[in-house]
Amino acid sequence: MTIGLNAFLLVSGLLFAIGLLGVILRKNTLVIYMSLELMLNAVNIALVAFSRYNGTMDGNIFVFFIITVAAAEVAVGLAIIVALFRRRQSVMVDQLNALSR
Amino acid sequence: MEHDTNSFILLAAILVPLVTGVIALLGGRLNTSALRSISALGFGIPLIIGIYLFCNFDASLIGEYNFELRAPTGLESIGIYLHLGLNAISLPLFLLAGVVGLAAGLYAMNSKAERLNLYLALLLFMLGGLMGTFASVDVFFFYFFHEFALIPTFIMIGIWGGAGRRGAAIEMTIYLTVGALLSLLGLIALYVTSGVDSFSLLELRNYLSEQPLSETVQSNIFALLLFGFGILVSLFPFHSWAPKGYAVAPSGAAMLHAGVLKKFGLYGLLQIAYPLLPEGGEHWFSLIVWLALGNILFIGLVTIAQKDLKMMLGYSSVMHMGYAFLGLVTFSVVGVGGALLMMVAHGLSVALLFMLATCIYHRSQTFDMSAMGGLATKAPVLAAFFVAGTMASIGLPGFGNFWGEFTIFAALAETEHTRWLVAPAAIGIIISAIYGLRAVANIFFGQPKEVFVAQLESDTVVDLKLSEKVPALILIIALVITGLFPRLLSDNANSELANLYPVEDTLPHHEVMTLPSTTDAHKELTH
Amino acid sequence: MTATQTLLFALLTPLASATLIAFFLRRRGALASYVSVAAAAAIFVFTVLAIRDMGDEGIVASWDWLTFGNFNVSMGFLFDGTSATMLTMVAFVGFLIHVFSLGYMADDGARARFFGGLSIFMFSMIGIILADNLIMIFIFWELVGFSSYMLIGHYLNTEEAAAASKKAFIVNRIGDLGFLVGIVYAYWHFGTTNLSEMQGIILANSGLISATIAALLACGFIGKSAQFPLHVWLPDAMAGPTPVSALIHAATMVAAGVYFLIRIEFLFPDSIKCAIAILGTSVAVYAGFSAYGQNDIKKILAYSTLSQLGYMAAAFGLGFPGIALFHLITHAFFKALLFLGAGSIIHGCHHEQDIFKMGGIFKKMPITSITFLIGVLALCGVYGLSGFFSKDAILIAAGLQGNVLFAMLTLGAFLTAGYMGRLVWIVFFGKPKSKAAEKAHESGFTMLLPLVVLAALSVVGGYMNLWPEQLGGIIRGSKDALHHLDGYDAMHHTVLILGSAACIVGLLGSFFFYGVGATEDRLEKKAGPVYGFLKARLWFDEIYGYYVAKIQQRFANLLSVLDIFVIKGIFVRGTAGVVGLLGLGSKSLHVGNIHGYVYWFLIGLIFFWGVASGLFKAF
Repeated sequence: MTIGLNAFLLVSGLLFAIGLLGVILRKNTLVIYMSLELMLNAVNIALVAFSRYNGTMDGNIFVFFIITVAAAEVAVGLAIIVALFRRRQSVMVDQLNALSR
Repeated sequence: MEHDTNSFILLAAILVPLVTGVIALLGGRLNTSALRSISALGFGIPLIIGIYLFCNFDASLIGEYNFELRAPTGLESIGIYLHLGLNAISLPLFLLAGVVGLAAGLYAMNSKAERLNLYLALLLFMLGGLMGTFASVDVFFFYFFHEFALIPTFIMIGIWGGAGRRGAAIEMTIYLTVGALLSLLGLIALYVTSGVDSFSLLELRNYLSEQPLSETVQSNIFALLLFGFGILVSLFPFHSWAPKGYAVAPSGAAMLHAGVLKKFGLYGLLQIAYPLLPEGGEHWFSLIVWLALGNILFIGLVTIAQKDLKMMLGYSSVMHMGYAFLGLVTFSVVGVGGALLMMVAHGLSVALLFMLATCIYHRSQTFDMSAMGGLATKAPVLAAFFVAGTMASIGLPGFGNFWGEFTIFAALAETEHTRWLVAPAAIGIIISAIYGLRAVANIFFGQPKEVFVAQLESDTVVDLKLSEKVPALILIIALVITGLFPRLLSDNANSELANLYPVEDTLPHHEVMTLPSTTDAHKELTH
Repeated sequence: MTATQTLLFALLTPLASATLIAFFLRRRGALASYVSVAAAAAIFVFTVLAIRDMGDEGIVASWDWLTFGNFNVSMGFLFDGTSATMLTMVAFVGFLIHVFSLGYMADDGARARFFGGLSIFMFSMIGIILADNLIMIFIFWELVGFSSYMLIGHYLNTEEAAAASKKAFIVNRIGDLGFLVGIVYAYWHFGTTNLSEMQGIILANSGLISATIAALLACGFIGKSAQFPLHVWLPDAMAGPTPVSALIHAATMVAAGVYFLIRIEFLFPDSIKCAIAILGTSVAVYAGFSAYGQNDIKKILAYSTLSQLGYMAAAFGLGFPGIALFHLITHAFFKALLFLGAGSIIHGCHHEQDIFKMGGIFKKMPITSITFLIGVLALCGVYGLSGFFSKDAILIAAGLQGNVLFAMLTLGAFLTAGYMGRLVWIVFFGKPKSKAAEKAHESGFTMLLPLVVLAALSVVGGYMNLWPEQLGGIIRGSKDALHHLDGYDAMHHTVLILGSAACIVGLLGSFFFYGVGATEDRLEKKAGPVYGFLKARLWFDEIYGYYVAKIQQRFANLLSVLDIFVIKGIFVRGTAGVVGLLGLGSKSLHVGNIHGYVYWFLIGLIFFWGVASGLFKAF
């Protein structure tokens, strides 16, 4: 039995929605960060699925780029979060509102 | 295009101050005397070049520029070249920048400003920008050099300004930026609507003289230029940046800005706006007239009410700009020529007065005129120079300002629709006499006021030092030269102005009966 | 040396002297004074040479000075009989006053400034005399105003001098406003401001005479010659050193206004001339009355000058410019003499100027007193002295033309004799009334010589036959014209009787009323209100003072407040306020919470999606 395109898109959509809700609702920067990754990977799934469906390599190449950029992003982002924690002793976004002042 | 040596000499007048400025800026460790000699070069050479070019100027090249230099900039596709040159209208202002630059530089070099090298560097940059402004044929560079000279002004006020500099600097910056922006919009609109694909003033002029823009377009663009340039020249009621700004500015910045940079706006109206958009000028005629009268009468009376010496000088310089506008609205060789004379002479006199005001402050420790008095007995030369500056600014014959004002009055009387303006405009000569002489009497004559007695007896009150005398004398001599020999300016400018402002001759030619003989003439009449 | 060059030298020598003093001799008062006196002597020599060489045609020369389009300013000389007469007087009297100043200013600390100022003044004055066009006259007109400012303010640490110099300059400027407007109107009306050309144009077409232009130009005269209503500066100007009062505020500069009128006589229609005659007559009487309320010897003489200037203006207005010039010249002689005499007395009395603190001067200073008395008699118009000839000619002209003017001018003659008599009896006779007067001493040679020479001129100056042939052509012309009028002889006799009566009544009346060597003003004691009225001089100074302090200054302050509150406050700050409110609004969107930004992001996304999908096209 082959699993159809729609199933992949459904999974991708679910993952994206979970990620989005996580970004909107959670207060811990680390969790928001992971939710962002979830959204990126949801997009990856969709891209791979489309690539397979269309029989071209375009989507796969795109995915490689996204993975590369995401890896770099993780490295920088985590470093920022660690630095932030060291300075403020907290990574909760409701406490990180210096810009409003 | 053929370049001769003089073109590169003209370029040098811009580059030398800039280069010496960079040296002064980077050479923070230079000892003071090296710093002074380097910046003296930067301040002096532009004037020497200006005088040299004045002597080699060929006034017969009507409608063209002397010493032209045209270098590519990488922006040729939209018609921007580094196009330099001088014509009979820009030449006097070029010289003015040189004279005031030298005086301001010499005065600043011997001042006790902190971070002297930065101060001198900024003044040099300003001077370089000024020389560039008046030497530009390309409208883009004309604007660019002006902005280049403007920025050091803000910085200098911010760092070395007097009390209340923050508010004044912000107000001045916003005003002047808005003014510059409006005029830039106007210039770009001119470029776009004319469709010449060139920012060269010459090409714009040639093209527009054959295919003038429609009246609506002309008046719209003219409005942008008028208000843009007008703000820069402190046209009433856009003047409120000027008195306060000059009051807090350090003397060097005030001298160069009030003396020279402010004339940029008038120069733009005179050289660009009026000749290219004559119908636009006509459309806005009555508004300009009323605003100029506002400058002369309203601001004149406000000047009378001032007690602070520098505020008074600032307001008086705003007031005198009204005359220049009145000269421009006549749209005649006489009026515009008068405005040109006025610009040069006013630049010299206002620079002199701002400088002397600082000299007075060093002795009195106050700018409040009602708390001085009797300074002339301790500092006679300072008093004499200040009287000379005041007399120049109130238009005493013998100084250039007189010719400017007189020629403008004469121009106003020429045609029927401006004739009524002579009397209200001439009331200004009374107003300026009142505030000028009051200032002189309050500061120098009579007995010192009670609060001033102790200060007057202190050792700091000495007569002008040599380092103050020399720059003042440079300015006074320049004023006297323009006053005694206005032909030096008018002979060159006459034909060029006639080319830019073509108007019909309205001078009446009456039949003259020859008299029997001059000695008997009165006898004959009385019989 | 051509005649033109001679004139140029006469004009430029004092300028060179002033420049030399200003730059090199500032601290060398003695040397500066010699340079200045030498320059004054040179002027006189050049004047004589120029008159010798002028010939019948006079000397005419012109140089272009400034040209813009059809506006052309030139500098030039029109040296004819009139200007030669005036120049001779100015050069000679000027030289004598320079010599007098050597003694008078000998112990002044700022002698160099004083003599430099005198030289500048001579330069400017000669410029007015020689000028061949209105613009050049105006230029030098302003320059004499400046030198007057500088010299009135000579004692610069006194409040009085500071205020007086400022007042003189500003009041003169008010007159110059009209003058200036008149010149520019005249330029476009006639196409020139050259005096001979304008005269030629009017000869060819007298319809071109314009009352407006004439009236405007006359404003210059009103300011400079201190006529109504701009006369207030002249009495105050006495704050300057006495030689300055003699030279500038009696003999030459104030008379330059009258000279200017004579130069442009052809521009005047009868209506304006008539107005000038009325103006001059009223000033003559007004100043005559005002002199009775003064105790300062110099101020009495100042009002006398005002009054005599009124006579000159009346002569001009009656159509006899030559007689105006005649009175100008004789007045210069005797009024310079009177001022210098007063200077000598003031110097002798250690700078005491109040006549009621003098007394008995005749015994202490005999030469000064005799010359002064000669001046007084000449001023009163005693038969045979110079003042007699010119003043009588004016009275005859008035008598032949209008009864009211004649009556007022005759009244003026009575007044003149009266206030001069008051001065003479109180100052010269009786006993000294202060220590200063007791210690009075006769002045030195340099001060007495000018007095003697001027006294001689005051005696013989009126005999036209003694004048050089080249000079006074216009005076002879006007006198001839007067002689040929109907009823001249009868009027001549009337005036002779009235004039002599005026002298006798005035001098004797003051003798009996005030008494010899009076210690206080009898008029003040007996008729306080009358004296108070005379002293108040119609409250001109008070009215102007009120205007300046209460109206002009308040108006200026009001405008200043408007400038700060309306333009700076409402417009500038208002604009800034609007921008600030916008900023506040957008600032409130800036929550600082990352979730807030995510919501904004989503809203933006939806908005752009809407735009892209054409959702807003309907609007």
